[in-house]
Amino acid sequence: MKIIVCIKQVPDPTIVKFNIETGTLDNIRYILDPVDEIALSEAIKIRERDWGKVTAVSLGPPRAEEVLRTALKMGVDEAIHLCDEAFDNLDVYSTSIVLAKLIATRQYDLILCGRESIDEGTGFLGAGIAEWLNLPLVTAVTRLDIFADTKTARVHRRLKGGDREILECQLPAVFTVESVLRKPVYPPLKTILAGLKKSITKIDAKSLGIDVRSIEPAMAVVGISQPKPRLKKTATIDSKLSAHERMKLLMSGGTQQKGSKTVEKTPQAAAADLIQFLIINGIISKQE
Amino acid sequence: MAEKDQRIPQQTTDFHSPEKNDSKGVWFVAEHKDGKLEKPAFLLAGECKSLATKLGEETVAIIMGHQIKDLAAEFAPYGINKAFVIEDNRLEKYTGDTYVDALAQVVSLNKPSIILFATTPMGNDLAPRLAARLRVGLISRYTEIEVDKDKKLTARRPIHGGKAQATVSLLRKPLVATLDPQLLTLLKSKEIEEPQVTECKVNIDSKNNRTRLIDYLKADPCAVCVSEAEIVIGVGKGLACAENLKPIEELARILGASVGGSRRATDERWIVDERRIGLTGKTIAPKLYLICGISGAFHHTLSIKGSQLMVAINTDRNAPIAKMADLVLVGDMQQIIPELTKQLREVMKPTN
Repeated sequence: MKIIVCIKQVPDPTIVKFNIETGTLDNIRYILDPVDEIALSEAIKIRERDWGKVTAVSLGPPRAEEVLRTALKMGVDEAIHLCDEAFDNLDVYSTSIVLAKLIATRQYDLILCGRESIDEGTGFLGAGIAEWLNLPLVTAVTRLDIFADTKTARVHRRLKGGDREILECQLPAVFTVESVLRKPVYPPLKTILAGLKKSITKIDAKSLGIDVRSIEPAMAVVGISQPKPRLKKTATIDSKLSAHERMKLLMSGGTQQKGSKTVEKTPQAAAADLIQFLIINGIISKQE
Repeated sequence: MAEKDQRIPQQTTDFHSPEKNDSKGVWFVAEHKDGKLEKPAFLLAGECKSLATKLGEETVAIIMGHQIKDLAAEFAPYGINKAFVIEDNRLEKYTGDTYVDALAQVVSLNKPSIILFATTPMGNDLAPRLAARLRVGLISRYTEIEVDKDKKLTARRPIHGGKAQATVSLLRKPLVATLDPQLLTLLKSKEIEEPQVTECKVNIDSKNNRTRLIDYLKADPCAVCVSEAEIVIGVGKGLACAENLKPIEELARILGASVGGSRRATDERWIVDERRIGLTGKTIAPKLYLICGISGAFHHTLSIKGSQLMVAINTDRNAPIAKMADLVLVGDMQQIIPELTKQLREVMKPTN
């Protein structure tokens, strides 16, 4: 099995902040996208069973080397860094084209990527690569079984409410994985040390034979701004907020405050009220 | 190697070049199940209508499937001008390859300016495929589309987990976008008029379908992970002891709910750790979250904000959770829950 995993370096979404004064992001610490870590882990597990080779690919500025190093420490065999000034500020459409160009020059049975990145979250990359390389695609994969002898894959795809559908397809194929697929692998020290020694292959636009200017981007980010809070409602006098909390709410411009209803009745009456509430909101329906 | 990358766009095709501004129409893909349109379809219809009014274009519902001709009439109260029905027995079950083949054919022929999808398992799969097939970009989970004087479109969407918002403009038409129907309210138009139905002929080559649907696994709503469940019951300190979980589980079976718990409930071993809701556990976003005996500490409430409806049962009417909940039942959960189960069993049956 030759597996290619597309990975991305993202700002840690738990700590990143938007600075209103400068209009840029603050407090940026770059990490490997958690869902890509799952994709890498799955690739490594498949290789442990079926042999082969795992290649991690990342397109990004020089700092993206860090996530490729992380991938090497996790135990991938090869890391490719698509790094070029021309690649700066590519949209996801153009990125998918550059990645597809690279993948087309290599041998592969399986291409894995995250269903959507944690920062931009467009969810286009997998579909783009599959389209450009004319490969089968399954998105939102929660389980992946590879049959190396017949070169087929049987996958579970996530649907609503915990439902799954099982699909089968021939390899090579593109799968975009969900983070529930598996737990990340924790490599042994030996693998980590070996990963520190391996080198990262750098490829620029010229050696890839691609003229970035010929790719017409499909979208442009006009700007980033502070998220606009939805539904501005100020607290009414009869809400259960204390004076202090109400002041805080007014100062912040008001946040969503749902109209809540309090019922203080006997258990029978309270239960009846709740049922009525569930019917009105369409959670349950009356039996005819 | 040459044949491998032949589909990589070298130069964008003139599919919809900005100069040839002949694209017209705001489309949306209506999803249906068991011969009925689903709620997201009607919600999207409203959004579609308001965008079309701003642009001065017509609204078109796309209905794909098998034996679906009559569905279009259901859009009568939503001001939809046209319905394109793509009927084929090979479209009975959703498969990405066949659906994108069929849809792309209809799109190329009619050149809409916007195509909307709901962020459902089908929309999330089909929208990027269509965008790639049409060589255009994709705007996922947008919150707002603005139309300026020149009818140029810009969309706003949350990035970095909602910490910031990006304003994105698409450089080519059509604009393929997905949005969460839960953010929309049902908009009905004043006049009732059935959309004009057009049946679209498409060529579907079943050889193009490279993924075979083997099976469908229906989840047991009580057993699924709390983060995926549509109805969640959360229990906390108010449970008092493990024996009291019995009535909760009984209620869960009737409601089709998944039971989770606060940190306290998992620490006491009433609930398994995998079902912990909160900062150190799972984040949930169900349709209904029934909160039993959880006071609503910050660590818990942070992870439940995505819930559409919250009902709290608590003995303390001033508990922090009461400020978040849509409905608060003040009383002892040990008394209310069995009563609720009894009454539910008498009159209701769960729909989802």
